Amino acid sequence: MQRSIAFEAFRYAVILGIVAISLVPTLWMISMAFKPIAEWSAAGADLTWWPRNPTLDNFRFIFGQSSTELIVALERTAGRPIFASLLTASVGTLIAMTAGTAAAYGLSRFGQGGNLPLALIQLRLFPPMAVMIPVMIMWSFLGLIDNWFGLSLIYGIVTLPFAFWLMKTFFDDMPREIEDAALVEGCTRWRVFLRITLPMMRPALASSALFVFILNWSDYLIALLLTTRDWATIPVYMASLSSSMTGQLYGAKAALGVIAAVPPIIMGIAIQKHLVRGLTFGALKE
Amino acid sequence: MSEIALENLGKSFGDFTALADMNLTIANGEFMALLGPSGCGKSTTMNMIAGMLRPSSGTIKFNGLDVVDVPMAKRGVGFVFQNYAIFTHMSVRENLAYGLRAQGVRAGEMTKRVQAFAELLQLEPMLDRPAAGLSVNILQRLAIGRSAILEPAIFLLDEPLSNVDAAFRAVMRSELKSLQGQFGQTMVYVTHDQLEAMTMADRIAVMDHGKLLQVGTPLEIYNNPADTFVARFIGAPGMNILNGRLTQQADTVAVDLPGLGSVALPPALQAAAARLTTPDVLVGFRPEQINAAKAGLTMHVGFVERIGARTIVHMEQGAASAKAVLLSEVETPKARKDWTFAVPDDAIRLLDPVTGQALVGRPN
Repeated sequence: MQRSIAFEAFRYAVILGIVAISLVPTLWMISMAFKPIAEWSAAGADLTWWPRNPTLDNFRFIFGQSSTELIVALERTAGRPIFASLLTASVGTLIAMTAGTAAAYGLSRFGQGGNLPLALIQLRLFPPMAVMIPVMIMWSFLGLIDNWFGLSLIYGIVTLPFAFWLMKTFFDDMPREIEDAALVEGCTRWRVFLRITLPMMRPALASSALFVFILNWSDYLIALLLTTRDWATIPVYMASLSSSMTGQLYGAKAALGVIAAVPPIIMGIAIQKHLVRGLTFGALKE
Repeated sequence: MSEIALENLGKSFGDFTALADMNLTIANGEFMALLGPSGCGKSTTMNMIAGMLRPSSGTIKFNGLDVVDVPMAKRGVGFVFQNYAIFTHMSVRENLAYGLRAQGVRAGEMTKRVQAFAELLQLEPMLDRPAAGLSVNILQRLAIGRSAILEPAIFLLDEPLSNVDAAFRAVMRSELKSLQGQFGQTMVYVTHDQLEAMTMADRIAVMDHGKLLQVGTPLEIYNNPADTFVARFIGAPGMNILNGRLTQQADTVAVDLPGLGSVALPPALQAAAARLTTPDVLVGFRPEQINAAKAGLTMHVGFVERIGARTIVHMEQGAASAKAVLLSEVETPKARKDWTFAVPDDAIRLLDPVTGQALVGRPN
């Protein structure tokens, strides 16, 4: 189909616009992370796109090294929150993926579970704020406030619907004949699930896990309500980076933001091959 | 070695009856083709034999033993799926060895058998290649090998050749036949391709709409189809079936085909025709069995297809249409002209216009 040059130009303009809108804040954050205090606190004409005097001061600062210019001492360093985020997001992902995959497989293959799909999706019907207060009270009663398993558990519960629905679509798309073939050759159900189904679903598992992990990783609200100090995660810690003397510590926040972007990017690259390969499986397409 | 007996077998899904009251005995070592169009119940039958579906009624017996409650892993059947169901995350070797490993065959024995089957099916060069990304033809061999390596007494194949190209299909037809000759399994082969059924099977079971219509050797079914469906389904093209009326001419009975002429019935058919209560009758004859004649039936030739050695003549007359298959060497009729042909006595079949059943060829 022949399109006019004007239309093509318009199309690319729109694409560039969208890319700019989504990337400029990220680039601004990266740039700010490497600016000294004089630059990130500047306003008006002093504002520059690139750091004039690039420095790692912001990174040093959040890890506890005081700088000459910033005479604010941090109560806590970023190390602990980063560890808390990594641990709780990972364990939460593990919980959601294990339960979600098992439920999705049972439902997809045996039609067991009745109202489970709807029951799971209604976990997402309410705004999180509406359920978080009761959850907070329950968690407090159970002694799950401000520890890693309490936070991991709620992460697993909150992202379970995503894990379940994603995995169910993938299981529904996998031809049953592949499992039947193994069954007819004398395999048990469990063995088929562990040796045939799960290995073949590796791409699906990887992409679902990445999605669930990013959801957990970027949570602010839950961690804000369910942690106080020891297990505050990156977003909660980031909100605390301010002082009465300096106001918001934008440079430090930007540095922490850059660090927070690293794990999802690494995971994304690691499973990229699975993401782009898609799910063709062993069977021929009809 | 196993004999399979299906007794009053039926399967329904809700209100839909996929298979009704099927009775069929497949002898030990027999090659049985289940033939029919899509949705005729042939795959349903197969899945019940394998144990993937549970019958709604009736029983399945292997060597006289009821196996309805035996799980599929314990039935000792091999199954080749239409879409091959290859484990793409494994190599060709691992695919071949999979069933043996599941059944706890010793490593040494396993290696020997994988090697033997790889040679037999010409898979040796790609044994260590990943199964993902192999060509359709190789996947097909692998699927057969993976089932055959367990040397099942019963080997079930569900349209295994429907995705491969025509040339390879011809090769595989003869290989499957020789594979069976070598191991002597009881084979059940589901197909909608009558050529596959005709060339490979010892007997064919023709099915339509969940019913078994006829069981017989390929030639029996070709020569004496039980009803109009089988007559039209078997053969390429199928049997011509025309509406006619019985008329008494002097001391013989003839069938008058309106607009075409009439054919005298041979004595054997006269007796059969006498059983009809009305003079209406269906006359069937194979396109291959008619030839040009001075007198006989006359039809208008619509168009002529030349396909190498044979020529297919498409004819019509009023509401009736028929085809003739002639050798291209003989003089073939011209398009848009009338053509007169004769039907030899032994090529004529009579069918009941109400029930569609053949009047002879099946016991009353």
